[in-house]
Amino acid sequence: MIRVLAIAALLVGMVPSAARAAEGGGGLINLDKSIAIQAINFLLLLLILGKLLYRPLLAKMEERTQAIRKSLDEAQAARAEAQRERAEHAAKLETAYAEAQAIRATALKEAAEEQRRLVESARAEAGRLVESARNEMAQEVTRARQELRREVVDLAITAAERLIRKSLREEDHRRIVQDAIGRVDKVN
Amino acid sequence: MRSHERTARRYAKALYDVAREAGATDAVGQEMEQVAAVCAGDAGAHDVLTRPWIKPADRRGVAVAIAQKIGARKLVQDFVGLVAERGRADHLPEIVGAYRTLVDAELGRTRAQVRTAVALTDGEKRQLSGKLEHALGKRVILEEQVDAALLGGFVAQVGSLIFDGSLDGQLARMRQRLARG
Repeated sequence: MIRVLAIAALLVGMVPSAARAAEGGGGLINLDKSIAIQAINFLLLLLILGKLLYRPLLAKMEERTQAIRKSLDEAQAARAEAQRERAEHAAKLETAYAEAQAIRATALKEAAEEQRRLVESARAEAGRLVESARNEMAQEVTRARQELRREVVDLAITAAERLIRKSLREEDHRRIVQDAIGRVDKVN
Repeated sequence: MRSHERTARRYAKALYDVAREAGATDAVGQEMEQVAAVCAGDAGAHDVLTRPWIKPADRRGVAVAIAQKIGARKLVQDFVGLVAERGRADHLPEIVGAYRTLVDAELGRTRAQVRTAVALTDGEKRQLSGKLEHALGKRVILEEQVDAALLGGFVAQVGSLIFDGSLDGQLARMRQRLARG
């Protein structure tokens, strides 16, 4: 409003200089009764414009200002909330990371322990297997040796029996019987 | 088989008791052995004595006739007649064996079954029985059986006692020794 009045005063101040220009011959404004009417018209126009345009404009401006301020406040709050949530998430993330680290460390420790245990167990089992295989092999060798010895002895004795049967004569039989009779004393 | 032997022992004991009363246990034993040998050697007589469908009286008659033929005394004739009549003629070898055991026990003697590769000479038999009598402390009767499967020497068995004087035994012992290493 103050600005409107200032503009009006400026226009009123310009009137004398306009009149002087008219007096000088053919200016923009003539200093007569019409100037008063123009002034009144102007004032009326000013009043109407002030009523119909300037006030709604101001109200609209105020409304926009409030809306912008509100939006700013909301944005501020949202930002603060986002920051809080981000901090919260960061904290959670930190906690989760720490937990994950702890779980990883525990898992690594357990895995190392399990690996050590498995390796020891496998080593012991391998030792047992080797020992068992060695014993089995030794038994097999002994068995095979005995079997071979038995077979060789069987062959040798069978061959000896054949030879003896072929070569025994009557006097040999008599001598064998005499020898055997001589050993009867040892029965007891 | 065990009931077979039990029956044979029962008959042998009965015969032994009667023979002892008659004071002829040894002679009865010898006659019984002869009868058993004839029955075992004569397939026809053996068939008649052991066939169940032949009348008991006929079996008895045949058995008595066999005993008479070898000159056995009345006791032996009656006994083999009874055994045949009752259908126990197939038990005769076991009866004779059981009877022999009883007589041997009475006379304090024992029997040695001797398996030999070649037949023993009389001198060898005397030497062997003498040695066995000396070792066992009782009179020994040798029952020799020539076994061609033996390589040489002999195997004598008296009850549960076995003396192995054969080459087969020596080879078997050598086989065991060598196999053991």
